[in-house]
Amino acid sequence: MSLSAALNKVFFGEIVKGLGLTFKHLFEKSITQQYPHTKPMLPDGYRGIMSLLKYDDGTERCVGCALCEIACPSNVIKVVSAEEPGRPLNRYAKTYTFDVTRCVFCGFCVDACPVDALAMTKEYEWASENKRTLFLDKDQLLAIGDRNFPLRGKKPEYRGSIEGDWYLTAVKAKAYPKQAEKP
Amino acid sequence: MSEDLISIIDQKATIELTVDDEKVSVPEGTSIYDAVIGMGKTIPSMCYHYTFNPFGSCGVCLVEVEGKKAPVRSCTSPVVAGMIVRVDTKTMFDARKKAVEKHLQTHPLDCPVCDADGHCELQDMSFNFGITQIGEVKQKGLPEDRRSTVLDFNMNRCILCAQCINICKEVVMVDALQFFKKGGFTHVVAKGDSALECEFCGDCLAVCPVGAITNKFSKYLYKPWQLTKTVTACNYCADGCQMRVEVTDHTVVRVTSLLSWKDKWDDHAATADGHGGLCVKGRFGFAYINSSERLKKPLIRKNGALAEASWFEATAEVAKRLKAIKAAHGPDAIAGLITARCTNEDLYAFQKFMRRTVGTNQLDSSARYGHASYCAAMEHALGAAQPTVSFHDVTFANTVLVVGSDVTETNPILALRIKDGLSNYHAQVIVAHPVRTNLVKLAPFPYTIAVGSEGAFVQGLTKAVIEGGLVPQRVASEHPTATAVLQTAVASLSWEALESATGLSRETFAEAAKAFVSGERRVIVLGEQIVNRPDGYQNVLRVADLMLATGMIGQPGSGVIRPCEENNERGAVVVGAMADRLPGGLRYDDPAARARVAAAWGGSLPSGGATLAEIVDGIRSGRIKALYAIGENPLGTLPASAGVREALSRLELLVSQDAFLTDTGAMAHVVLPAALAAEKDGTFLDGHGRLQPVVRALDAKGEARPDWAIVTEIAQLMGASLDYTEAEEIRRELLQIVPAAFDAGPAALRDGLDGEVALRYAQPAVAADAPSSEYPFELSLYQVLSHSGKMSTRDKGLLEIDAKSRLQIAAKDAESLGVVSGDRVKVSSPLGSVEVRIDVNGDLPHGMCRFPEHFNDPAVKDVLPMWVDPVSKAPAFKAGRVRIEKVVP
Ligand code: SF4
Ligand code: SF4
Ligand code: SF4
Ligand code: SF4
Ligand code: SF4
Ligand code: FES
Repeated sequence: MSLSAALNKVFFGEIVKGLGLTFKHLFEKSITQQYPHTKPMLPDGYRGIMSLLKYDDGTERCVGCALCEIACPSNVIKVVSAEEPGRPLNRYAKTYTFDVTRCVFCGFCVDACPVDALAMTKEYEWASENKRTLFLDKDQLLAIGDRNFPLRGKKPEYRGSIEGDWYLTAVKAKAYPKQAEKP
Repeated sequence: MSEDLISIIDQKATIELTVDDEKVSVPEGTSIYDAVIGMGKTIPSMCYHYTFNPFGSCGVCLVEVEGKKAPVRSCTSPVVAGMIVRVDTKTMFDARKKAVEKHLQTHPLDCPVCDADGHCELQDMSFNFGITQIGEVKQKGLPEDRRSTVLDFNMNRCILCAQCINICKEVVMVDALQFFKKGGFTHVVAKGDSALECEFCGDCLAVCPVGAITNKFSKYLYKPWQLTKTVTACNYCADGCQMRVEVTDHTVVRVTSLLSWKDKWDDHAATADGHGGLCVKGRFGFAYINSSERLKKPLIRKNGALAEASWFEATAEVAKRLKAIKAAHGPDAIAGLITARCTNEDLYAFQKFMRRTVGTNQLDSSARYGHASYCAAMEHALGAAQPTVSFHDVTFANTVLVVGSDVTETNPILALRIKDGLSNYHAQVIVAHPVRTNLVKLAPFPYTIAVGSEGAFVQGLTKAVIEGGLVPQRVASEHPTATAVLQTAVASLSWEALESATGLSRETFAEAAKAFVSGERRVIVLGEQIVNRPDGYQNVLRVADLMLATGMIGQPGSGVIRPCEENNERGAVVVGAMADRLPGGLRYDDPAARARVAAAWGGSLPSGGATLAEIVDGIRSGRIKALYAIGENPLGTLPASAGVREALSRLELLVSQDAFLTDTGAMAHVVLPAALAAEKDGTFLDGHGRLQPVVRALDAKGEARPDWAIVTEIAQLMGASLDYTEAEEIRRELLQIVPAAFDAGPAALRDGLDGEVALRYAQPAVAADAPSSEYPFELSLYQVLSHSGKMSTRDKGLLEIDAKSRLQIAAKDAESLGVVSGDRVKVSSPLGSVEVRIDVNGDLPHGMCRFPEHFNDPAVKDVLPMWVDPVSKAPAFKAGRVRIEKVVP
């Protein structure tokens, strides 16, 4: 055994070296995140929990086309569509159910949506002791959208069959004789 | 293909042409499209449909023809000898792609909200051609036409292919749609640009290749891929249409037909016997399955009121009380009724339960007042209680005689076959009816006869045939005595009596007789107005005489058919769910058949028995103490004069097994919820005796169960060995006893009828009731297109289409009574009176009025008498004489 090796053994050289590194870090900027006291910075395009969006006038974007349902590889979404009560000619999602427990956060549904009604948020704090809290309905999804995307897109002016309000006022009596009859 | 079709084609010269270097021969007049399709190739096409003549509007079916510069629309170009056609070329692909692009240029981006999305020919075409750029776009921005009750027209999506217009004009022959130019665009609108009011068969909806026509009852409720589709049989009339019931979870969302634009791609041979469409009931009458009024749990009467109970309690209660009544009063204190809307399996299980477990033959089905007279008379005359032709024969008949039937209303799809023959196979159609029906308007030989004179009309026709020397030689040599007897018999009929009874002249009869015998294949369609009247049984025998005189017996393709109102009336007869029928459809008193059934069941069969009217009488007299009614509602069906209410209130046990709480159910001690046809497996026999599979499309509502399962459970609780776990076992058992149960056998003239014929003609064939000054109107209950029995009045959709419980009277009578549509009148007969609103109908003859039999509010049926045929025991209760008075408000 050489002298330096022996000294190293006697004075625990390796430990000194290791502790040196530890001490050095005392004077460096810490990179440990004190979650939940500090929140991480998320990259753009982060795929967190799903939300449903609205237009600037507060109406839902979703037209109940169920393309997200068919695009989803893990059967997360269930859309039940119908004609919107009080707004004939307007298709909407009567119920929209989203089972977060099954979601693999692939984002296919967002791609599929033809009216950009779906967006993935940067919310991820959804751990729960009760699985039932992870079945979201339309109102919950809209609420998530509201709090994550306060800036809303402008509603495009549809003509013709989708919206038809312009037409309704004009020819309502003719097209809806039954409704017109009612006092 | 049928021999008839082949023979038609064989008569034409063939032409040879070359398609993509391959030589083919086709008959002259064939289009290039058909020639190419016949080779097993496809040409994309959007306006072609096999059910009507090519129209040539979409411009997609392009092919290259040598010598022609521009591509040719193959569907409208006939082949020419030596033609050289190229189909699969790059140029043609591009030309077709251009044509589709042109459609897209005026097409909206509606797919996400369009009901056709996923089942859209334009989408498929765009996808197949790989279209990504469409150049300049011009949106139409038209409002949706929502004026009709049933269909919405979105002309933004219309590609102007005219398939809807063509099928309506050429196949359904209603001709309700047209192209209409307004605001610079062509629209499809109802005739005269009004709200669509038609038969609502929905065939236009079925053939529309895009989402331009949509179904209001299912609008926006689905995407085609979300629906589970089951092909099953329709539960309304006996035309036996196969349909696709499309469901999500526990709801029927829509019903589609085998007819659709897809047919030109799929192998439509499967549906080629018939056009594959549906009528308004089948296509739009599905809401009753989802109805919230459905019974979901069994009900037991406790302290005077019906209260929900468990299945265990309910079946135990029924079994216990049936057993007690049987022990105390014998099996003949119990009777059973079952509706002919049940499957063959239900009917079989029930009749076995009644005959073996209970031990009584007091058992009947609703086929009693529908099909029974026809069966009894046909069995008597021809030895077979069955129709003697198939629906297929109706299409290809040379002459069709429709008598006493408004077949377009009662059996719409059978009517389409007659119309098919009329327009495509030059059929001579003879219609005799007091009302100017739809078919009367279309037929080349329409005869408006006096009310109730259908029997006399048939006799007159027979007389005209015989006296006009139109009896074929073959008949006289094959049936010499029968012919001779018939000859002397008709001689005893006086032309004067026949003329005054029918209102037709002797010459008219001669003309009709000539027309009738002009073709070889002759079909007679018998309706309710000739069979279900007091002299109905005799009328069917008269028809048999006509068949004999014209040589129709034993002639292939010729015969008689009695379209039934309820879907499985044939089944009720064949399965033996009637007091006078055994499984296999044989007579209950046939000793050999009895022995066979008894041996198979391992015991004896009860003797005696009671039919519907006898059961009601038995209950009233107190002899019958318990009634088990499956789907039958005698209180709602029979007139007050039958005394049903009084009878039912005397029962010790009334069990009503139904999908809904009926009038009878409201009086019952135990109510059991039954599954509907869409919710169970089994089979039906349609009007011409073809076996139709019934396939479960969705789970039964609430705790409802199939009828056979309930019956089996009660039988087991009564200690019987009835043990079925699925419907198929029941069918197998029936087929083991009578292997040929579901096959229609041949019919031939029975011997020994000769003396009877003479007797029959000794009595004049006139309406049972002659008009009197006190009761000058003939009132009849009739069937309307949008309804079937009482079941359809549970359907929200069909009620939206037609809920007119109004008395129809002739324009002339309305005038003399001083009433207009909507006024109230009082209808009285010796049996009572009822107040009802009227509708003036210009097609009715003077002195006739009618009321839809489906509605009981007001209860017009209660002023009518009931008459029971002595032979067939069929009650007739849908006609009678009344007085009408204006009600001064
Ligand atoms: S992200 Fe993927 S898994 Fe989740 S709902 Fe959307 S498509 Fe389905
Ligand atoms: S794809 Fe978009 S519009 Fe369609 S149902 Fe899903 S969220 Fe709604
Ligand atoms: S008709 Fe077809 S292409 Fe047109 S909007 Fe509907 S689904 Fe889309
Ligand atoms: S409505 Fe449909 S079937 Fe009729 S012309 Fe338009 S696209 Fe064709
Ligand atoms: S009611 Fe009769 S004609 Fe109409 S769809 Fe049903 S079976 Fe066919
Ligand atoms: S199919 Fe020939 S033009 Fe449409």
